[in-house]
Amino acid sequence: MAYGATGQPQPSHEDLPESVFKKSYNFPPFFSPQPTSLTRQAQLKKWSEFIQRYCRHYRLFQLSIIDTLQSPLFYNARLKKGLSLKDAKAVIEYMASKDGDERAEWRGPEKAVAWIWWRKPEEWATLIVNWVEETGQKGTVLTLYELVQGETTEKQEFYGLDTEVLQKSLNTLVKKGKAQVFGTEDQQGVKFF
Amino acid sequence: MGNSQSAHKISAHDRAILDMKNQRDKLRQYQKRITVITTRETEIAKECLAKGDKAKALLALRRKKYQESLLSKTDAQLEQLEKLTSSVEFALVQKDVLFGLQQGTQVLNMIHKEMGGLEGVEKMMGETEEARRYQQEISEALAGQMSNEDEDEVEDELEAMEREVVGLPDAPNKTILGEDSLPEVPKTELEREQERRQKRKERARQRRVALEA
Repeated sequence: MAYGATGQPQPSHEDLPESVFKKSYNFPPFFSPQPTSLTRQAQLKKWSEFIQRYCRHYRLFQLSIIDTLQSPLFYNARLKKGLSLKDAKAVIEYMASKDGDERAEWRGPEKAVAWIWWRKPEEWATLIVNWVEETGQKGTVLTLYELVQGETTEKQEFYGLDTEVLQKSLNTLVKKGKAQVFGTEDQQGVKFF
Repeated sequence: MGNSQSAHKISAHDRAILDMKNQRDKLRQYQKRITVITTRETEIAKECLAKGDKAKALLALRRKKYQESLLSKTDAQLEQLEKLTSSVEFALVQKDVLFGLQQGTQVLNMIHKEMGGLEGVEKMMGETEEARRYQQEISEALAGQMSNEDEDEVEDELEAMEREVVGLPDAPNKTILGEDSLPEVPKTELEREQERRQKRKERARQRRVALEA
């Protein structure tokens, strides 16, 4: 697989799993912005769900729009149809809005890269807290590395979680007084209460 | 301790543990890199053999061997570090246990003081016993007195009953008047009252005799 600007692998156009690439993916109008507003809303919603499924499946936490335009996400090789840069941005814009349940978040004002919240930071935080409680590690010092790269979390959903996403999710806990992050820049740890 | 504000502060112990755990993580990452290298060297050796280049294959295997020796050393260091970290964490647990015991002892002593200590308890038990005995005497006194009154009433009732039954004239056996003696003239009320008083005095005298016995 090739690598995009974000350093994430881009899946090939073959062997696309049906659980991710559903019927609408092979429906040509899916790749054209619909003129009727009701249909457009339905289309945007379907795109949002598709992008979340795609990112969840390939464990992608952020997308670079430019790099993804030629990937199976925005381009159907069989139909030879894909979203334009403008249309792709419009979809992400929808996902980032309240209407789109804020399932995306632009990473900068230039709107080139976006977080894709197939699971929001607070939702990740819940998984982590549950694991910490189940393993009796409240009040214990844990490194951020061992949380998402350690042997003990290998079977957890948050294993391999993006470092920045981890930070965001832990911050939601810090604000509630349920955790405290400490340590120097790249060697941080966390304590749960 | 639980959710108290002090628990949300990160102590020097926590930072020390974090440092050790970060060092542990670094060693683990280093081990991962070595594993990648040794795997790659093995592949290189196989490729060289396939091409008939035995010398290069041997060289790759020597490099792999060296990397594996580094891995062993790292394993030993990692083990030492993990033992130290675990010891520190356990020592902290022991410290918490000791603190808990101290707190428990303080609470216990405080309770003892509130109770007045052993002397206070003994004194109170003594007072309780005295009060209990006094109550028993009061109960006995009351029971005796009431019993006397009840007894008088019961016996009075009995006498009245006896009078009603025994005092009734027998049915005359003969129909002719004048041949049998006439029934006694009934006593006056005054006479009956005098009899009751006399009997009451007699019973009181008997009770006094019984008590003295």
